[in-house]
Amino acid sequence: MTRARVAVVQFPGVNCESESALALERVGLEPEIFRWTRPAAELRAFHAYVLPGGFSYQDRVRAGALAAKGPLLDVLAEAAESMKPVLGICNGAQVLIEAGLVPGRGRVELALARNRMSGREGYYSRWIYARVEKSSCIFTRHLEPGALLPLPIAHGEGRFTSRTSGKLAALAKAGQAPLRYATASGEIARSFPDNPNGAQASVAAVCNAEGNVLAIMPHPERAQQLGSVPRSIAGPWAARRNSAQAAAAPGVDVTDEGPGLALFAGLARHLAEA
Amino acid sequence: MAGGSGGRAQVWVELRADDPEAISAFAVARATLEAARGLSTLRRMRLLELSGPLPALAELEELLHRSTRFYHPQKERCVVRLAGGDAPPLAHGERAVLVTERGGERRPAAERWWLHETGERIEVHEGVAWLLGFDAEADADSAIADLVMLRDRRHGLLCNPHSQDSSVADREIPLPWMGAAVGR
Repeated sequence: MTRARVAVVQFPGVNCESESALALERVGLEPEIFRWTRPAAELRAFHAYVLPGGFSYQDRVRAGALAAKGPLLDVLAEAAESMKPVLGICNGAQVLIEAGLVPGRGRVELALARNRMSGREGYYSRWIYARVEKSSCIFTRHLEPGALLPLPIAHGEGRFTSRTSGKLAALAKAGQAPLRYATASGEIARSFPDNPNGAQASVAAVCNAEGNVLAIMPHPERAQQLGSVPRSIAGPWAARRNSAQAAAAPGVDVTDEGPGLALFAGLARHLAEA
Repeated sequence: MAGGSGGRAQVWVELRADDPEAISAFAVARATLEAARGLSTLRRMRLLELSGPLPALAELEELLHRSTRFYHPQKERCVVRLAGGDAPPLAHGERAVLVTERGGERRPAAERWWLHETGERIEVHEGVAWLLGFDAEADADSAIADLVMLRDRRHGLLCNPHSQDSSVADREIPLPWMGAAVGR
């Protein structure tokens, strides 16, 4: 059986393409790094797409703003319309938001704005808890609502916001916010640093209404191995990591599946069923 | 210690070298946006506005020069306006658009530096001024509206209205500009 081909779309300045490709490979998919210099039409041959993190076009004008206008996005917009899966991680999420692929169909309805943090400004990096919400998003719908995924964030412009009052809360209610920032005990984050950027409604990821396009600010590809989960994290993932590190549990290894791999597994499951 | 127009100064900061951000914005706009057909030049400047008890021009310029909280004199040059009559650094026919981060215009680190150096409390706000030049036959007013405000992949670039505000100046550049007649 041939493996589904996934394009890892690399704009100049993107720097997470290798680990994104590795995560796809680990769940049985066939990734190919697709650089911006190739003819856009060649993108049509793929079954799914990942836009990794980094700093496309040096974040000129706004993060994701220039890549969003390019010819590759024409093809990705077509692919999204035809229900092919598209995952934008961090800078990839910024591109999708600036292109209007999320949450709607081409109209820009949100921004990923500069972080708003008490006592700090600028770029911020830490591990957070992302709570799985009830959603038909193909990347997360196999996960139990309420489950916590410890994931790293690393960005300066990651605050989901809209000038339309209540927009993010409405998206969450409609199942278009499949991941929200939470506390270690699973409550929706109310303040910094659990909500690390001031995102409205503590939204960490937004998908389109059909659930095939997801813009996520945390980096699941950086949490694809159990051993990546840091000591600051509590809960079942930490317990598994501790077991692996202590070699207390036979058969558990630090290179085992980490919490971030779940999103790529969701993609693989969807492509297998499609 | 007051020196500016009612204790206000407007500082226009531009890279001495070609500005990659403006070059990229220009190239992308020309390649993808219908409204950019008549766009002939695009420049970008950081715009700082200081308000409070400011010193006279020479001392003000010296303070700005001393800290990279304001600008980097090896890489950038700056022009200071203290009154509405002072000329902004616009070329003939250029139109100016101010874009600011909604709720994120203040520069606390610059304010702290100023307090430390002078003992005076001032407010520092920052935005980006885009300077647009058009071909003679272009309808600049309608082109600007369509170039600035992001609506979709084919309309707008310089301001995402969900997190930013923009203000298009008429022939005269207001002083202060930030917080004055900001459109959403």
